[in-house]
Amino acid sequence: MNLETVIVGIIVGLAGGWLVRRWLAAARRRKAGGCAGDCACAAKIQPKK
Amino acid sequence: MSAAEPGLTVALVGNPNTGKSTLFNALTGLRQRVGNYPGVTVARKSGQCDCGDGTKVELIDLPGLYSLSAASPDEQVVIDALSGHLAEDRRPDAVVVVIDATNLLRNLFLASQLSELDIPVVLVLNQADVATEQGLKIDTELLSRRLGGVPVVLSSAWKGEGISAVRRAIGEALRARVRMPAVEWPALVEEALADVATGVATDIGRAPGRADVERLLFDSTTSVGQRLGWASARRDVVIRAARDKVRRAGYNPLAAEPLIHYARLRKLLEGVVQGGGDRTGGSAAVDQVLLHRFLGPVLFLGIMLGFFGSVFWLAKFPMEWIQAGVDWTKTVVAPPLDAYPMLQSLLADGIIGGVGAFLVFLPQILILFLFIGILEDSGYMARAAFIMDRLFSWCGLNGKSFVPLLSGFACAIPSLLSTRTIEDPKARLATAFVVPFMSCSARFPVYALMCAAFIAPGWQPVVMIGMHCVGLLFAVPTAFVLTRLVLKVKPQPFVLELPRYQMPKPRDVLWRMWQNAAEFVSKAGTVIFAITIIVWALSYFPRDAAVAERVKAANPSVAEAVVTAKIQAAYVEQSYMGRFGKAIQPAFDPLGFDWKITVGVLASFPAREVIVSTLGVTYSVGEGAKADSQHLRQAMKDAKWQEGPRVGKPIFSLAAVLSLMVFFALCSQCGPTIATLAQETGGWKWAAASFVYMTALAWIVSALLYQTVIRLS
Repeated sequence: MNLETVIVGIIVGLAGGWLVRRWLAAARRRKAGGCAGDCACAAKIQPKK
Repeated sequence: MSAAEPGLTVALVGNPNTGKSTLFNALTGLRQRVGNYPGVTVARKSGQCDCGDGTKVELIDLPGLYSLSAASPDEQVVIDALSGHLAEDRRPDAVVVVIDATNLLRNLFLASQLSELDIPVVLVLNQADVATEQGLKIDTELLSRRLGGVPVVLSSAWKGEGISAVRRAIGEALRARVRMPAVEWPALVEEALADVATGVATDIGRAPGRADVERLLFDSTTSVGQRLGWASARRDVVIRAARDKVRRAGYNPLAAEPLIHYARLRKLLEGVVQGGGDRTGGSAAVDQVLLHRFLGPVLFLGIMLGFFGSVFWLAKFPMEWIQAGVDWTKTVVAPPLDAYPMLQSLLADGIIGGVGAFLVFLPQILILFLFIGILEDSGYMARAAFIMDRLFSWCGLNGKSFVPLLSGFACAIPSLLSTRTIEDPKARLATAFVVPFMSCSARFPVYALMCAAFIAPGWQPVVMIGMHCVGLLFAVPTAFVLTRLVLKVKPQPFVLELPRYQMPKPRDVLWRMWQNAAEFVSKAGTVIFAITIIVWALSYFPRDAAVAERVKAANPSVAEAVVTAKIQAAYVEQSYMGRFGKAIQPAFDPLGFDWKITVGVLASFPAREVIVSTLGVTYSVGEGAKADSQHLRQAMKDAKWQEGPRVGKPIFSLAAVLSLMVFFALCSQCGPTIATLAQETGGWKWAAASFVYMTALAWIVSALLYQTVIRLS
């Protein structure tokens, strides 16, 4: 495996990893009742029990 | 900036469209979205405010409401926030009531109700400049005296006038803790309130707040009883008896509260407001034309035509400059990497080709939001709601549905949040279900790409309007079926307060443009950037040298440049993306999509604008990194079917272009929208139904359209 392949592999891996991490963070945010979009625009609105 | 005083919070409340968010921005230095129509704020927002004496408080901007009788979820947020029942917040230490200075009587009704909350109050008479224009003179000192010393301040938040006075008044209210005197109820009504309070205290073991007692007595649909845990059987008995007492006092129990408050306010305002004749001013005259039964829709259509035409016309040259910049970057980056073809392809075809194809649409997005900002800020958008109301009332949607549907043309997510302004849960659900049909700005680059490449310039605005109407065309019958047959929504009259016409404020319009441009560029630099790398990798690998040898052997006497292009095309076809696309393509064949479009469509399910960069990458890799002059549009025009019954014919025929645009107009291709729909409807059932319905509808309509146009042509 030459250096070019390694560099390209790292770039592709980083891009894929970043996308997965981002989607997981959004899912966690939604689960916590936060903004379902990517903009974090809506504050939490949950009446006290 | 130092931290806010621990625990000091001040809530900003008032009727819709009184300029609360503008005042909030002026006091906190933040840039909360504002708009010249009611219902822009649907959630609680907070920021830090300096009271002018070094005291810093947390200022909370709340949705607008006309009274404390909450009917919709956004109004409930205000009641919960003011009574300390909102998670993470305790009761505010003071309340700033923002009042439209041109309509004191109606706006003071809310302030009068708030007096029962026993919280220090500041009255801000906003839009004082408009009141002055209308010849109104307001004696704030007299009003303050009559309200027991409550600070009363004149301001014009959008001009930045009176902001320091508001800061000082907040500080003063927190120090002096002056409450607005509560209304004096007639003796029998007071007795009825005492009966309810005693009933609650006896049954739940603690004394309720005065404001809660009033909601129990005066509101027929209040949720206070459930919140207090007061058993419904016993509650009904106590409240029925108390309402009988109110009747004996000569009032209808459900109308007593406004009647008594307004009687008090009329007395209170005697001599406070002087002057002012025709309050409607020029707005009424303009509305005679813009809201005319026949002329109104014609002018609306004309404005929209001019709007979309200008987007193309004004953006033409900036788009060409960006395209030239992208090409230049490619010519600079690619040659030094000749020895590293894989890295060269990643940078030139993948990153520059994909992100560049997306960024080219930045001027159109800027102009789109410039026009949206002008239309909203001028007050015309609210008129558009009235013009379109006939259509919406026919399909059974609540009148309040129009504002969320209208804002859906920018982005579905905030418009789904703004469905909270709709009181009826069924109408709210029906509106949320059809919001994703509205042609959001993410669809815009797809339409723009297709129109610019395949539609004659004179027809581009017409096709753009047509595409924006396609969603509406299917949203209307969908809403009809949902509201009339499935959910059986009761029709309700459309009540929307028409804002005054005003000159759009350049600061707000430019800020909105900037926000959307920043979001667009940030998306290009993050999500689109990452996705293009993945799409490139899937279009590039595997690279078997045998493929090139095979192509060379099959084309012995063909020019080298042609052979190189054929090798690139063969590589893309046997890549992971090519194999996957070809396997799935038969499902999209009836729609006229080749495997590259199919891949673009599938890659666009998380976010629809991804198709632009995906096509940018697949066509760029297919052409080879050095084919820098081949813009995506030209590459698409040149693309031809390589096999099958359409071999040699253009892939992007008029039928295929229309089919693709209609598919994007109707298909549910936005992950965050589906998630927001699930969040707002309280589960995944309706979100899943929306996804399946919209996607199936998009496939069927596009297939019918493609097959029809192919046969006709």
